[in-house]
Order: sequence, then C-alpha cells, then structure tokens
Amino acid sequence: MAARVVKVVRPAPTTKQWLPILIGLGVASAHFFRNLFGFIRGRQDFTVNFPEQRFVQPPAMRGMPVLVQMANGKERCVACGLCEWACPTSCITIFPAETAAEVERFPEVFDIDMARCMFCGLCEEACPEEAIVMSRQVEISSYSRRGSLWRKQDLLVPEAELKPRLDYLRAQYARK
Amino acid sequence: MPESNPPAPAPPTPPTPEPSKLMAAILERVGALVEQWHAEHGDDRIHVARENIVAVCRLLRDSPELAFDMCLDVTAVDYLGNPDGFITPSQVWDENRAAWRHLPQSRHRLVQPPRGPSPRFAVVYHLLSTSHLHRIRIKSRVPEDDPTIDTVSSLWPGANWLERETWDMYGIRFNGHPDLRRIYLYEEFVGHPLRKDYDKQHEQPIQEYVGPGAKEPRRPQVEYAGPERKNTQRPD
Amino acid sequence: MPDRNAKTLNDPIDSAMRPRAEASPSQLDPGLDAPPMRLQFGPSHPATHGTVRIVLDLDGEQIVDADVQIGYLHRGFEKECETGYYYQNIPYTDRLNYSSAILCNTAYCMTVEKLLGITTPERCDFIRVIGGELSRMADHMLCVGSSAMELAAFTPFLYLLEARELVLDQIDALCGARITTNAIRIGGVISDLPAGFREFATAKLDRAAKLIDDAHKILTDNIVFRRRMEGTGYISPQDLIAHGVTGPMLRAGGVALDLRRTQPYLVYPQLDFDIPIGEHSDNFDRYLVRLEEIRQSRRMVLQCLEKIPAGPVNVDDPRIRWPGKNHVFGRMEELIDQFKLVTEGGLFPPGEVYFALEATNGEFGFYLVSDGTGKPYKCRLRSPSFSNLSPLGRALIGRQLADVVPSFGMTNMIGGECDR
Ligand code: SF4
Ligand code: SF4
Repeated sequence: MAARVVKVVRPAPTTKQWLPILIGLGVASAHFFRNLFGFIRGRQDFTVNFPEQRFVQPPAMRGMPVLVQMANGKERCVACGLCEWACPTSCITIFPAETAAEVERFPEVFDIDMARCMFCGLCEEACPEEAIVMSRQVEISSYSRRGSLWRKQDLLVPEAELKPRLDYLRAQYARK
Repeated sequence: MPESNPPAPAPPTPPTPEPSKLMAAILERVGALVEQWHAEHGDDRIHVARENIVAVCRLLRDSPELAFDMCLDVTAVDYLGNPDGFITPSQVWDENRAAWRHLPQSRHRLVQPPRGPSPRFAVVYHLLSTSHLHRIRIKSRVPEDDPTIDTVSSLWPGANWLERETWDMYGIRFNGHPDLRRIYLYEEFVGHPLRKDYDKQHEQPIQEYVGPGAKEPRRPQVEYAGPERKNTQRPD
Repeated sequence: MPDRNAKTLNDPIDSAMRPRAEASPSQLDPGLDAPPMRLQFGPSHPATHGTVRIVLDLDGEQIVDADVQIGYLHRGFEKECETGYYYQNIPYTDRLNYSSAILCNTAYCMTVEKLLGITTPERCDFIRVIGGELSRMADHMLCVGSSAMELAAFTPFLYLLEARELVLDQIDALCGARITTNAIRIGGVISDLPAGFREFATAKLDRAAKLIDDAHKILTDNIVFRRRMEGTGYISPQDLIAHGVTGPMLRAGGVALDLRRTQPYLVYPQLDFDIPIGEHSDNFDRYLVRLEEIRQSRRMVLQCLEKIPAGPVNVDDPRIRWPGKNHVFGRMEELIDQFKLVTEGGLFPPGEVYFALEATNGEFGFYLVSDGTGKPYKCRLRSPSFSNLSPLGRALIGRQLADVVPSFGMTNMIGGECDR
C-alpha cells in the first residue's frame, strides 16, 4: 500500500517500420466499423443530434440560476440579499420591498446579469429560503447585452418544474 | 508572538521554544544573518535583511545538509500600513466566537490604512530541497522609497521569471537581474497592480501604436457609453 | 516614442522584446549578410494549445534565440482574490488550470484548511482524491491528445477526447459541472457521491481505458511520432531542478519528486500506485510518463471507490462549513450561522501559510496571508506551468523549428494557470 517509483519502458524502435502503421490502421478501422454499424443500428453512443435530442444530465447539473415561483404565483424569495452578497461576480441585483401579505418582504427588482454569471451555484448554496436554484437551462444566448439581463419575471419558474432540483438540493445540503 | 520592527535591530530571539530540526540546521549555518525565525502552521520561515539575501540563499543552496536546490516561488507582500504583518496570537480564533471582524462595507473597495513606520514590502521566497524534501520560506523587508533587492536568479535560473513577475506586479527592482522586463503586462502599463494602493477598478490609459504605419490616423475611437445599466442604480 | 520607432524599425511589434540575437559567423553563411529571421510563433498559433508567444530568431531552420512571452491570459487572479471572501475565490480557482479544476479547488481549500488548522473527514478526503485523479486523467488526456494532433496525428486526439468526455461525465455527476467544477469547499465538498457512482464510474473508466490503449497503440510505436518526440526538448535534470520545474516534466528527467509520495496528503498513503519516471528527459519520456499517469490515476480512482468509508463529508464546525439547509430552514442558530458565514466570510486566524499539492503539471501551491478577516490579504498561486515554461526558451536554442511544437505541447502550459 504505497507509492512505488517505476521507470517507464520505452519500447525499442522496431525495425519493421510498416508494422506500427498497420496496427494503427487496424485500430482506426475497428473504430470506424464499430461506429458505422452502431450508426446503422441506431446506437446512441456518443454524440447527440443536439436540438432534437438532448443529453441526459445528471441530477447535480448546474445550469442558470432561476427563482422559485410558489403556487400563488409569487416568488419565494424574501429579499434577504444573501445571494447578492455571496455572488462572486456581483451579478445579482435586489431591491427589497414590503407588502401587507403573509410573507411581507419581497424583491421589487431581482435582476441577474447572465453575461457575468458563471453558474457557480454559490447563490443557491447561500439562499436560506430555497428560493434561488440552479435550473437545467443553459441556452441563454442573446443578441445584445441588454438581452443578457434577466428580470424577475423572466427568472420565475414554477416550483413543480423545479422539483427534481429541489429534491436533489435537500439531499445534497442536508446534514445530521 | 509580535514581530519587532525591522528598523530596530531585532535580536534573533526565537519566539517559539524549540526550533525544528531543519530550523536548527539553518540557524547553525546562517544564524548570524537571520533576523528572526518563526514556525507558523508548520511552515518554517526566516527573516533576512535585504543586503544579505544572496549570501543566505547561497549558503542555503550550497550546504550539503540543507541543499535547497529549487526555488519554488518568489513573490512579495505589500504590508501597506500594516507594518509588522499579522502576527497576532491565533488562539483568539479558537477561544471565542465574539471575535468576528467587521468588514468594510463595500466589497470592491480596499481599505487604505495609513502607512506604517516599517518597510512596506516583504519579498518572499519559497525554497525546496529535492534531496531532503524540506522547505523554507525567506522573507526580506524592502522599503517603499527604495524598492530594490538583489537578484537570486544567478543561483536559481528559475527565479528569473519569478522576479520579473514580482517586478511587474509589485514594482520591486532586482539588482543585477539579467532581463528585468515586465512579464504579464505590457511595458507601457502604468503602476504595479498588486500593490495595495492600486485600485482594482483602475483603468489604464490607451497606448498609441508605434509600429510601422503608425503615422496613419488611427481608427477614431467610438465613444461607447455601454448599455443602460439599470441594475447598478437604485430606483428612487 | 519616436526613438523607439527608430530603434525597432525592423522589429515593429513591440518594445517588450529582447534585442535580436547577434548573427554569429559560425551560424550564418558569411556571404549571406543577413540577421537571423525573426518569427512570431503565437500568441494563437494553430499548432500550440495555449496562448503563448514565442519569438524565435531563426537561422534557416535552426533556432538562434527564443524568447517565450506569456501573459496573454492574465486576469489578475491574485488581485481578484484579495477582494473576495475565501469562499468566493473557490470558483476563481476553477479558472486556473481549467483542464483539471478539481485539483485547483482542492489545493486552495486545503491551504485555507491548513490556515484554520482543521482536518477533514475521511470520506471527504476520498472524494477529493477521486475528483482530483479524475481531473488529472482529463488533463493528461487533453495534453497528450492535442500534442499528438499538433504533430498531425488527428485520430488519437479524437479517441483521447472521447475518453476525456467519459471522465468529464463522472466529474459532472460528482459536482454538476464539467469544467468549472467549483466542487470543493473549505472543510468539505459540494456534495456526497451520487447514488450508484461506483458502477457508473467503473463502467466509464473501463471504456476510457480501452480508448487510451487504442491511442497508445497508434502513437507509441509510430515512426513519425517517435522521431519527432525522441530526443527533442531535452533539458538536463539539473536544469529542470534549477528552473523549479515539477511534475511529469521533472519526473521524465528521472527525478522522482511527487508530492503524493514525498509529502503525502489526503488519502494517498492508503493507495497503491506507481509513480512513473523517465530517464531521457525528452518529449517522448514526458509523453510516456503522462500516459502512464493516466493509467495510475484510473487505478487510484478504482481503489478509492473500493475503500471509501461511510460517514460525513463535511467538517462539523459551524464556524467553517455552511450549515445544512434542513437546519437553516427551521432553526434560529443555523440561520444566524448562515448569515454570518455568507456576509462575513468566516473567521480566519491571522498568519501566513503555504500548501502545495501535486497537480497535473507539478507543485500547485497557494501562499495565503491572512489578516484575520474573511478575505485573504494576499493569495499567491505558485503555478507549475509558469515554472515549467521558463526553461523552454533556453532548451529550444540550437534546435530545429519543428521541435518547438512537441516541446511546447509536452510542457502542457495551461494559460489560465501560467498567467494567473
Ligand atoms: S451562479 Fe454564481 S455567478 Fe451566477 S448568480 Fe449565482 S452566485 Fe452569482
Ligand atoms: S438568498 Fe434567497 S431569499 Fe435571499 S434574496 Fe437571494 S433568493 Fe431571495
């Protein structure tokens, strides 16, 4: 159970110089025919035809951060500002406000500048309300810089759609 | 274990009771040139006056029982206004949670404390011995008005680039360096960005192109104010 | 500026350049009264994988002088770190060696842990080793594959990239991102291993191993590849040490310096693995060492998956690791902890600390100076690529122009890490 130091073996140069080339050709042909027959048989091996087919993403996948929308159409966020504080790139902007409703604090403005966001997930980790989570959405390109600024209304996603991520989060960040 | 100010000749009194085996060997070889030594978090460290840095490094490299044959890193620390480093008893942290510090309000503004009396910079060397596998850190204080120190690139050629980087980032000149150009930034860069008084958001002046064809007028600079950034202003 | 203009009439690009090499009569045809030709190799050369500019003075095909210029990817990592909290800098470390981000995360977090004087639970250490070795595999695959591609061997590049994708799939399952992992936390890891990770990883690693073997079969004996790799890029072991070169490049020179063995950290003492070393100190040995390290890393991951104990993955200390969300939602103390840790960054003892681990390219160390607040006063990266690249210019002098490509490729200079 320890590390051993070994010398790498440098294979002696072969006198039959055509042999390695034939071997290489054989390896490449094997790959070629395997892929060809796999393609004919419809094997889904490595690449996917992107817009029609999608990757199966693992549950841990971190896409762009979105806000959880509760059943009553409101956001769950209470504008505590922790995500804004934790964000290394300072891409979240929150202006809090208050209402007379049951949850009295809410963000009047909740913007994320997606041009600066790096999908690090610290906002999600900091949020004490499970209100901002990393979705699976990654296709967020836009033509202008203005388009990369996501407002609160754009960011809200119904809770039901985020259920897998929320379940994953509860397991991921749970402690004894 | 507060460090004393380097201007006052600091007696080489060991602040910790027992030097490690390596430190004992070092003190035996170069003890006369060592101003202070510390063992902090398991890292051995010696403080050397900047006049002696090459002599100490040569002894450390050439003594067979030390044999520091690899210069891992050369860098500097800018102790602007914090003259003696941050050697306060670290038990504070263990004992009470009441010691949470108050932080500056703005994350992107550095607090600029007043300048202290002792040298502003410390050049830091990390050495490794590939045969004995021990490490040492050497610190040498360099004042702000004369930020120069002798080069060790004659001892370890690897220090050449590292010293160029330290010059680039901190503006510390290395006497006798064969090729002291900036390494990351361009020659026309104004200032040295890792100094604590260089603001992170500081913008550099635009440099004119000086190559062939420079006489032709440059493409006029388009004034671009940027998109309206609502998210940086509070609505009234 | 006019005087500079005059001086650099033939040398238009910038003033940061060394003066041209003297045309020495022994190297140049005396009848051909011309200075050496100055060739700009890079910053974005199709035959280099890395943003570096090598200014070559050529006498025909022979290199008379070489000046390696870096800094094209300088983003001010160290300045940025000084203004962020310790936990906020972890995502920035992803961008250092972006082909093995978990190792960078681990190095940073372990440095902070050394500053704090804490040890992490064993399961956490195992997960760090698994993630780190997977990253190392991915990085070596990219290095070997793209170096082969630069020598016009395109097929093995595709195999190695496919193998790398299989490795990245595991990293993705581990932490939710393929490249910018942000996987390690101070005093823990982002999440425990996902369910069924062992079977998943074993299957993927087996497929990757086959692809590695295929690439090995195509490359290692191939006469073109060998002739371009063997004997080129030689740097003597003494020079390697004096230049501070570490990692596979040093080990290919026969110096068995590997921090996993010499200064064991995490769970490496419990693992059984080989450290390959070369003896010729040329590019071919570097290639062989890297290829062997991929295999050894696979062995290590498999052993870790066998041995990983059950238990917590985070230190149980409310001053360091953020509290569990299940408690944050329900309890007052944890909610306060969460607010304190996020807004103040944590509580760190003043002092300074250096810690290094064996990353893909060698000793990857952080030197932190703490003033007792939640932000590092100074965060210095000891980057292996930087030191590994520094002897390259000298090693190229007197060699052929065609040697630049394999020598640079096998240095595996990663711009993000080298230029900080
Ligand atoms: S994912 Fe990271 S960068 Fe993006 S908003 Fe959240 S904290 Fe900021
Ligand atoms: S941390 Fe959560 S609750 Fe607080 S402002 Fe951000 S999203 Fe809203």
